[in-house]
Amino acid sequence: MKVYLAKWGATMAVTWSNLLVYRVNFILQSIAPLFVFLLVKLSLWYRIYEGQPGLIGGYSFGQMAAYHLWVMITGLLVFNGNSQRISEDIRLGRITSYLIYPFSLWEFHGAGFLARTLLQTGIAIFTIFAALALLGGRLESPSFGPFVLGLLLAILGGVFWFWINYWVGLVAFWLEETWTLMVMLQIVTYFLSGAIIPLELYPEWLRTILLYSPFPYIAYGPAQLMMGNLEGVGRAFLVLGFWALVASWFAQWVWRRGLRLYTAAGI
Amino acid sequence: MIHAQGLSKRFKSHQKAPGFKGAIQSFFDRQFETKTAIENFDLEVAPGEIIGLLGPNGAGKTTLMKMFTGIIVPSEGSLNVLGTVPHKRSRDFRKQIALVMGQKSQLWWDLPALDSFLLLQKYYEIDKKTFEHRLNELSELLNVTKLLRVHVRKLSLGERMKLELMSSLLHDPKIIFLDEPTIGLDLVAQKNIRDFLLNYHGETGVTLILTSHYMADIQALAKRVVLVLEGQKRFDDSLEAFAGILGGAKMVAFRFGSVVKRQDPFFEPFSPLWNAEGTRVELNIPEDRLRELGQQILRDYPVVDFHTENLPIERVMAQLLERPELL
Amino acid sequence: MGLAAGASALYGGRDLMIKRIKQYGSIYGAFVSTSFSEAMSFRAHFVLLIVMDLVFYGTHLWSIDILYDHIHLIGTWRREHLLFFASVMLAINQLTMTLVSENYWQFPLMIRTGNFDFHLVKPVSSIFLTFFRTIRPGSMFNMAFTAPAVVYFGLQVDLGFWAWIALPFGIVLGFLLQNSLEMLFSCAMFWMIDGTGVNFIRIEFQQLARWPDFVYPSMLRGALTYLVPVLLIGSAPVRFLLAPSDFWPILGLVVFLLFFWALLGFFWRMGLLAYESASS
Repeated sequence: MKVYLAKWGATMAVTWSNLLVYRVNFILQSIAPLFVFLLVKLSLWYRIYEGQPGLIGGYSFGQMAAYHLWVMITGLLVFNGNSQRISEDIRLGRITSYLIYPFSLWEFHGAGFLARTLLQTGIAIFTIFAALALLGGRLESPSFGPFVLGLLLAILGGVFWFWINYWVGLVAFWLEETWTLMVMLQIVTYFLSGAIIPLELYPEWLRTILLYSPFPYIAYGPAQLMMGNLEGVGRAFLVLGFWALVASWFAQWVWRRGLRLYTAAGI
Repeated sequence: MIHAQGLSKRFKSHQKAPGFKGAIQSFFDRQFETKTAIENFDLEVAPGEIIGLLGPNGAGKTTLMKMFTGIIVPSEGSLNVLGTVPHKRSRDFRKQIALVMGQKSQLWWDLPALDSFLLLQKYYEIDKKTFEHRLNELSELLNVTKLLRVHVRKLSLGERMKLELMSSLLHDPKIIFLDEPTIGLDLVAQKNIRDFLLNYHGETGVTLILTSHYMADIQALAKRVVLVLEGQKRFDDSLEAFAGILGGAKMVAFRFGSVVKRQDPFFEPFSPLWNAEGTRVELNIPEDRLRELGQQILRDYPVVDFHTENLPIERVMAQLLERPELL
Repeated sequence: MGLAAGASALYGGRDLMIKRIKQYGSIYGAFVSTSFSEAMSFRAHFVLLIVMDLVFYGTHLWSIDILYDHIHLIGTWRREHLLFFASVMLAINQLTMTLVSENYWQFPLMIRTGNFDFHLVKPVSSIFLTFFRTIRPGSMFNMAFTAPAVVYFGLQVDLGFWAWIALPFGIVLGFLLQNSLEMLFSCAMFWMIDGTGVNFIRIEFQQLARWPDFVYPSMLRGALTYLVPVLLIGSAPVRFLLAPSDFWPILGLVVFLLFFWALLGFFWRMGLLAYESASS
């Protein structure tokens, strides 16, 4: 067991090294997008409320701003997949080594995912404190219980996203390029998860369908919890947990299919 | 053709301790180190020469080539190729040179080579008639007529290398820089490339600057050898002179009928090269002692067979790398 | 005598220029045809690229539409104004995707692998080889989405006759500004070990430019108009099209274009001086 954990530890250390070598890249790729996203959203909503004071979709401007801040924090914890690396491993034939190593491909990428998540958690915590300090009383400090639940839901969202990434990465067994698929998924996810606009504003029929999909629970759900709104928390964990399981099962199934193809080609 | 004087090139690189701590440390406080790739290098090349640049990995051969072709800018010294400063990259200069890198490809991977050639025709403004003429001529010489329409990714390395070579000759360059042109090729493919280059040089009198790890390339092609060690020029003379550095030594191989002790101090001064069983040895023997030593060995050891040849350049090189003070 | 020599030099110069334009034209033609045959050999990727952009275009317009179900105005703009703006931005995006985008991603790879060396020994401008070598033929088809969208929302905001004439030029100017800026950013890749990070800055700036300038608080708006003028990309042409008296931004756009082209030449040369070329 100890030996096994050491493998994960070593892989995580390598991931950290790799992430931090190109420091500008690290900041640009994993943090800047979310900040810019937040900046655009805040500016936009500020203008909107300027012309229409009061509540929009049940949110005051303060609540809307807080919502987008928590969506960003959630984003730090969720979007830590690395499908490109997996595709590259396949395309360049590097997975052959994982067929021989006593450490499989998903474990390798799982450790990488864990390393990135831990690093991002640190950044998330720092961001929360910075936001609370900067905004002072204007941002309601989250209450402990729901906040922790929100973090847990976000981490579960991260697990779901990891398996989705893993699956998309594995599509490289069949397709020469997979990044288009990933970008597409990301766009759809942003839209359907409430990261762009809170779900209350969506048409009723769309909301009803979405509640059974994993999407609301990787942005809207955690943000609501962090804002102290416990409504539907049980369903959130249940539905997202279910989808995370499905995603992991599906990814493993795709892996087995792909491997058969790979070994058959005799590469 | 090439005049280089006091040429130097330095690179900066950053260092990092291993592990998470090292990563964090280097994230905030980065340590840089300057590495000298080429130092105070002089070189004169006349038109029509074939020059072999020799040296171990990292000696600076490729850096030299990149300075000669204007890809990187020298840190110090003066350099003039074909009458201009390479890194000014004048259009005329670029039209007269060619660069072949065995490790890289300028052909479009997912297209037939012919598509890449047509593109090059436009780059170099070669008129249609000349282009077709050269295309036919070169593809016959290289025996690749049938490969022109095959996707590059489906070619073998040897086939690809021929087309790679062809792509850099279409515009009839005055100087060709070849960086490891035969790397990774099998013996037959290596020989094909060498024969072609020799033939092409004979017909056109083009200037060739060549680096290679395979001494056979150098031996077959280069009339003149320049040895680069740790960024400095350590030798610059004819191939014969290079082979003679060790003082007209001969390589003598002996085969023994029974196992001979390889630690035998008798063989030590002659850089012995044993086979695993201890039944065969190759020695470097100075010409003037050949007779005397040969007789002695025939007398004292169970020799069943022997033969003599000029010291292969590979052994000269190996010995020089071991004992650079010989230079 | 002196006059004659001067004239012949001038004509020689003009002949040379025509020759160059012809050469670059024929090279670009070859780029288009090679990109096309290359793209056709990866059919799934070809289709996915088209779908990916369409998904983005669709969700972007839909988000705005949903937003306006709950509000009447953003600044002074009604639904159709913002949708018109958004469709112009998408048209600019579609041009970029088709003509240049792929090259921004290939450039850092070429630097890292040292394949950029080959560009440098060719007797053709290395900027040209770097940024125009690959086009994405698939994205061209998305014009079938962006062009009708621009026309549809243009009709809704009642563009006048001259505005319709000016519309394509406005889009092209926005496209030129965006890409001049992005090429300028890309010069930074010469100094970076892994230049892909620069591509993320580009994308962040695209995010910022996707909304009209009046959305941003004044300090930020100033910086993004006068310092890194990404807000001019869409806001300058659209403001001009909606109200021709509002022509200062588009004039500014043209001035910035000329300035950036000079700057690009300068930084590119600096970059080449600093280029170290990946070892063998």
